[in-house]
Amino acid sequence: MASQNPTMRQIAMVLDLNKCLGCQTCTIACKKLWNTDTGTGYAYWNNVETLPGKGYPKNWVESGGRTAEGEVKAGRVPNLDDEYGRAWNFNHEAVRKRSGEGKGKPWLRPDGAPRWGANWDEDRGAGDYPQENHYFYLPRLCNHCTHPACLDACPRRAIEKRDEDGIVLVDQDRCHGYRFCVEACPYKKVYFDPQRQISTKCIFCLPRIEEGVAPACARQCPGRLRFVGYLDDEAGPIWKLVNGYKVALPLHPEFELGPNVFYVPPMSPSKLDEKGRPTGEPRIPTEYLVGLFGERVHEVLATLEREREKRRQGEPSELMDLLIAYDWNQNFALGPRKREVL
Amino acid sequence: MRSKISLIAAPVGLSPGGYVPKAYADRTAPKTPVAEFDAGKVGDVWRIRLRWACAEPHRELGDDVDRFIDAAAVLAPTVADAPMMTMGAPGKALEGALWRADRTALIGVRAEGLGTVERGDAPEGWSAEAEWKAGRWSLDFELPGWGVLDVHRQFAFAIWQGAEGDRGGLKSVSPGWIEIET
Ligand code: SF4
Ligand code: SF4
Repeated sequence: MASQNPTMRQIAMVLDLNKCLGCQTCTIACKKLWNTDTGTGYAYWNNVETLPGKGYPKNWVESGGRTAEGEVKAGRVPNLDDEYGRAWNFNHEAVRKRSGEGKGKPWLRPDGAPRWGANWDEDRGAGDYPQENHYFYLPRLCNHCTHPACLDACPRRAIEKRDEDGIVLVDQDRCHGYRFCVEACPYKKVYFDPQRQISTKCIFCLPRIEEGVAPACARQCPGRLRFVGYLDDEAGPIWKLVNGYKVALPLHPEFELGPNVFYVPPMSPSKLDEKGRPTGEPRIPTEYLVGLFGERVHEVLATLEREREKRRQGEPSELMDLLIAYDWNQNFALGPRKREVL
Repeated sequence: MRSKISLIAAPVGLSPGGYVPKAYADRTAPKTPVAEFDAGKVGDVWRIRLRWACAEPHRELGDDVDRFIDAAAVLAPTVADAPMMTMGAPGKALEGALWRADRTALIGVRAEGLGTVERGDAPEGWSAEAEWKAGRWSLDFELPGWGVLDVHRQFAFAIWQGAEGDRGGLKSVSPGWIEIET
């Protein structure tokens, strides 16, 4: 395990996977804000993948950095063609020119023969239709880990974790582009920019945070499923969901990095038997969720069921109200400079 | 002083941080086992020539993200007892020049310990000519007015094989300072 000490404060995000639409608004909000340079075409600080699926980069869970016991394991820098997928250029010009000339309208196509890309296996999921088919969306970003593997990997000490909010940043003036951070992060959330020959990663929209505004991915989310605030703020949504109601879990806790992005795991409707009757078993196998979020999935799903039932019975449930985001202002608690959501 | 020298893998155990020493613990053999070198002074100009085998030259990254560049560096101590294997130490700097196959201008380097390398413009007039032919790199440095080499008459060099994933502390190095005969 990396040896960095926890910072004075830690900003965090909770995402309720029961509400993600897979619309990719967060992905685009982030991309347009931070990653439009030539060398970052393939880089998605925020991506949304369909699970069960291979994710982005392809099979990132197997690309190394940490073992299932949290020990350092040699990782790999994913390949652009086979694992990230090159950024596509489309034949917009051809489509534009040939339309209306009587030759038929060509399809809009990417150039080359792409083999993978962000969101490549969208909506495929798993299970036989109609008895048990299922999928859900997993939005992913840097976890601004308490013990960041990327920071631990950098021999240049070019990665820092800020004391005031725990945001993990690459000092691009110090970075020499060795990419040990890319290898070491088991979430594969550091991206190498081959044009500038330096590493880049999510900055948790630092300039916005400093103004009390939540990151673009959270503010633009039409599903209103993202919560942002400080872990130690007992009046805020993060503390309530992570420590109070204990329904938000880190992704792959076994890597032992102390991720500070947490997920409310997805509930799912019942499987059907051969006659189309509900069996009572969830379509998303609970063991699959345990593989993502650890053993605590069982208790979290039980809490969610219990609170949902309370609401169904007309009883109050602060947890359900918070998760439903009746008052979106409650999703964000960024301290003294907090701004109202308009 | 023309010589052939067996290189060693820079000890990864010394690399700062917790990842490289563990992830590359098995990297004990140099990716460039042998190199030839020649060093001498003509007028004010130090000439250092390096030759090494390289089956697959990596001259550019293109837009690939998992590709590394061939490179070589020559370094000299700025004080008599500056340690070579740790890239100097606080107050005991090394300085020199870094050649990378993807650029023509040399990069000036200075370090006072592992992980402290600062890169900048190489001194005025410093240059290198490089050619890859028949599986070998030939690299000729011309380093006019390199004062610390005049004084200490010691240098070391490092070679990075891009195709082997060499970068940073993953490199083949001369096993210590090389004394330049007067
Ligand atoms: S998720 Fe990866 S990039 Fe982000 S802080 Fe953790 S180790 Fe570093
Ligand atoms: S914007 Fe919100 S709902 Fe849409 S994909 Fe992102 S997290 Fe899911």
